[in-house]
Amino acid sequence: MDAIRIPPPAELDALDDEHFRQVVRAFLHTHYPEELRNPPKRLHWSENKPWYFKLAEQGWLCPGWPKEFGGLGLSPSKIIILTEEYERYGVARCNDHGIVMLGPLVIKYGTPAQQQQFLPKILTGEHIWCQGYSEPNAGSDLAALRTEAVLDGDHYVVNGQKIWTTLAMDANWIFLLVRTDKTAKKQEGISFLLVDMNTPGITVRPIINLEYHDEFCETFFDNVRVPKENLVGQLNKGWDMAKALLSFERIFLGSPRQSGYALSRLKLLAERMGVYEDAVFQESYVRLRLEFEDLKALYETYVAKLKRGESLGPDVSMLKVIQTELFQKITDCMLEIAGENAGLLEPMEGNRNLNATGQFIQARPASIYGGSNEIQRNIISKNVLGMPG
Amino acid sequence: MSAQLAADDRAESIRMIRDSAAAVAPPGGDTKRIRALRQTLPGFDAAVWRQMGEFGWIGLRAPEALGGAGLGLAELGALAEELGGALAPEPLVAAGISTALLAAAGAKAELASLLAGETLVLTAWQERADTLAAPGTPDASRMFIPFAAGASAFLLPVREGAELALYWQPAGAGLSTEYTYDGGHFGTLQPAPARKLADDIGAVLEQALDDAALATSFYLLGGAERAFAMTLDYLKTRMQFGKVIGTFQALQHRAADLKMQLALFRASVEDAAAVVDAGASGAARQAAISRAKVRAAEGAMLITRQCVQLSGGIGYTDQYDVGLYLRKAMVLANQYGSAGLHRRRFMATAPEGEE
Ligand SMILES: Cc1cc2nc3c(=O)[nH]c(=O)nc-3n(C[C@H](O)[C@H](O)[C@H](O)COP(=O)(O)OP(=O)(O)OC[C@H]3O[C@@H](n4cnc5c(N)ncnc54)[C@H](O)[C@@H]3O)c2cc1C
Repeated sequence: MDAIRIPPPAELDALDDEHFRQVVRAFLHTHYPEELRNPPKRLHWSENKPWYFKLAEQGWLCPGWPKEFGGLGLSPSKIIILTEEYERYGVARCNDHGIVMLGPLVIKYGTPAQQQQFLPKILTGEHIWCQGYSEPNAGSDLAALRTEAVLDGDHYVVNGQKIWTTLAMDANWIFLLVRTDKTAKKQEGISFLLVDMNTPGITVRPIINLEYHDEFCETFFDNVRVPKENLVGQLNKGWDMAKALLSFERIFLGSPRQSGYALSRLKLLAERMGVYEDAVFQESYVRLRLEFEDLKALYETYVAKLKRGESLGPDVSMLKVIQTELFQKITDCMLEIAGENAGLLEPMEGNRNLNATGQFIQARPASIYGGSNEIQRNIISKNVLGMPG
Repeated sequence: MSAQLAADDRAESIRMIRDSAAAVAPPGGDTKRIRALRQTLPGFDAAVWRQMGEFGWIGLRAPEALGGAGLGLAELGALAEELGGALAPEPLVAAGISTALLAAAGAKAELASLLAGETLVLTAWQERADTLAAPGTPDASRMFIPFAAGASAFLLPVREGAELALYWQPAGAGLSTEYTYDGGHFGTLQPAPARKLADDIGAVLEQALDDAALATSFYLLGGAERAFAMTLDYLKTRMQFGKVIGTFQALQHRAADLKMQLALFRASVEDAAAVVDAGASGAARQAAISRAKVRAAEGAMLITRQCVQLSGGIGYTDQYDVGLYLRKAMVLANQYGSAGLHRRRFMATAPEGEE
C-alpha cells in the first residue's frame, strides 16, 4: 500500500486506469479519517469538514472540474474508479452542492468575475453551498415558485420561503431560483441568484426526516438584500440554467455511487446472516449485480459525453431512474434477508457495514429528490419519446 | 343453530370488537400518544394495557374456563387490525403467545393477572434471527423480545431431552435492550430459569407462534389500510401544475395497483383466520398462515413505501404520519418469520394443487 507514490493532482489523469486505482487506494489509506468510515447517516459539516479540508489541501476535491479551474479533469473511467474506491472504503459524502452543482454551473454560465469570486472558495472550503429551489407549493412543479426578488438600486430584495433545503444549516451560501417577473409566463420570469446566508433576514429551520436526522430545512427570506452582481446569467433566464444544472444533478444522482455502496454491503450482510451461499439469495443477488454492471456502462456513456463538452439531453433522466430504483431494490433485499434486524434503529451489532435499515431509509427519497421518478418518466415519455400531450 | 346464524353471530361479534377498539384506537385519532412513547422504555402505556385487560382483549382467545373469552383468530385479527391502524404500541400480539402457554401449563394465577393487564408476561423463545424454531438451548441468550423492558416475567422454553419444558423467569436481571426503527425496542435476555411450569409445551408454542404471525399480519393490514387512506386523501388534495395530483394517470394507476394489493392482502389474512378457526391443524394450518404472512410482509412494505413516494418530500419527514407506518412495517415484516421463511414453509406444507 504505502509503496505506491501519490503523484501531484495534475498528473492523475495521465495514469493508466489500474495504476490510478492503486493510487486512490493509497490516497484513502493515507488521508481518510478512520472514524468517518461508513457513517450511518449523512454527516454534517462539523463532522465531515476534516475530510473536505484534506481533499482541498491535496487538490482532490473536484475530480470532474477542468484543470484550469482547479479540478482534476479526470476521464469518465477514472471518475468511476474513484467512485468505486470511495464506496469500497466507506468514504462519507461531503457537503458537495458547490462541487457537484454550483461549480459546474458557474464554470458554464458565470462571468469571469463570478468564476474568480466563487470557484476558489469552493476549492478551499470557505463557501459551503446549498440548493434553494423547492417551495411548499412548488415541488414537482418547480416553475410555480413564488419566492421573489425585486430590484431596489444595486440590490435585489428577496422575500419568500424555500423548503427541503438539504444541509442548509451547514451552508454559508445558497443558490436560489427566484421570481423576477410576475407578469411573464411562469418559466420566463425566473432568475438564478447567489445569496450569502449571513445576510440579515434569512431564517433556517431544520426538519427531522424519516431517518430521525436533521438533514433538510425550511429556509425563510424576509427582505433579504442581495447585490445585483450575484445574478448568474441573464435576468429572467434562470429556468434554462436551472434545467442545465438539473442535468448535472441527474448525472450525479445517476452515478453508481449509492447502488455500488449498497451492493457491497448487501454481500457483507448476506454473509453475516449466513445466506450468502443460499440459492434463493444468489438468484436475487446476481440479478442486482448484473443490473449494477449495466448501469455502470450506461453511466460511463454519459460521463463521456460531458467530457467531450456535449450537453446532456433529457434522456439523462433514464440514468437517474435506473440508479435510484436499483439502489432501492438492493436495500429492499437487505431488509428481506436481515430477519428481525430489519427493524433495528442502529447498525446491527454496532457494525456500520451492516446498516441495513439506515441504507433502506436513505434509499427512499432517492426517487423523490432531484425531480421525482414520476417526473423523470414524464420527461422520458414526452421529451425523449415525443409522446403527445 | 344454523350455519347462517352462526356466521351472522360471528360477524356481529367481530363488529363489536372493532367498535370497542375505538376506545384505544379512535378512528381518525391523532398519533400524539404514539409519538410520545417512541424511544422510551417500556414504550407502551401501562394504563392502556390494563384497559385492554378490562376489555377482555388480552384473553380474547384464552378458554372461557380460564377467564378468557374463547374467541377465534378472526376476532383477534379484527382487533389487531384496528390496533395496527392506530399504531397502538401495546404488547397484545406478543402476550398472546404467553397466554397460550400459561393456559396449557394450567398456571391459573399467572394467567389471571396477565389477562387482567396487571402484569406483562413475555415468552423468550428466540435464539437467532428469522426463525420459528425454539430449540430451548438452556444457556443461549434469547433475542428479539419485543416490549421486553415492560415485562414483569418471562416464559422460557428449555430443552429437556425430547421435551420442551417451560420455566418462569421473573424480570429484573440479565436484560439488555436495543431500540427499533418504529421507536419500540427488542430485548436480549440471559436465561435464568427460576421455576418449572410445564414439562412439554413444544406443540403449543409452535402453534402460538403461528397465531402471532397471523395476528401480526392483521396488524400490518390495519397499518397499510390507514397509510393508503391518508395517501389517497393527499392525492385528492395536493395541487401541482395547477391540478390536483390525483388527476395524473400515472398516479391513478399506482393507486389502483395498491388497492389491488390491499384486496389480496385482506383476502389472504382473513382466509387464513377462517382456516384456523375452522379447526385446521398441522400442515394445512401452517400453509394458510405462511401464505398470509408472506402477503402481509410484502404487502405492508410495498404499500407503505409507495405511500411515502406518493407524498413527495413531506413523506420523508418524521412529522408526517405515513412514515410511521413504513417504520412499523420494517419492524414487523420479518417478525415471526420473514417472507422468505414463510415461502419455504409454504412449499413444504401446502398440499399440491390439483393436476
Ligand atoms: C431528502 C430530500 C432532499 C431534498 N433536497 C432538496 C434541496 O436541497 N433543495 C431543493 O430545492 N429541494 C430539495 N428537495 C425537494 C425535492 O426536489 C422535491 O421534494 C421534489 O421535487 C418533489 O416535490 P414535492 O415534495 O413538492 O412533491 P409533489 O410535487 O407534491 O409530488 C407528490 C407526488 O406526486 C407526484 N407527481 C407530481 N406531479 C406529477 C405528475 N405531473 N405526474 C406524475 N406524478 C406527479 C410526485 O412524483 C410525488 O410522488 C429534497 C427532497 C428530499 C426528499
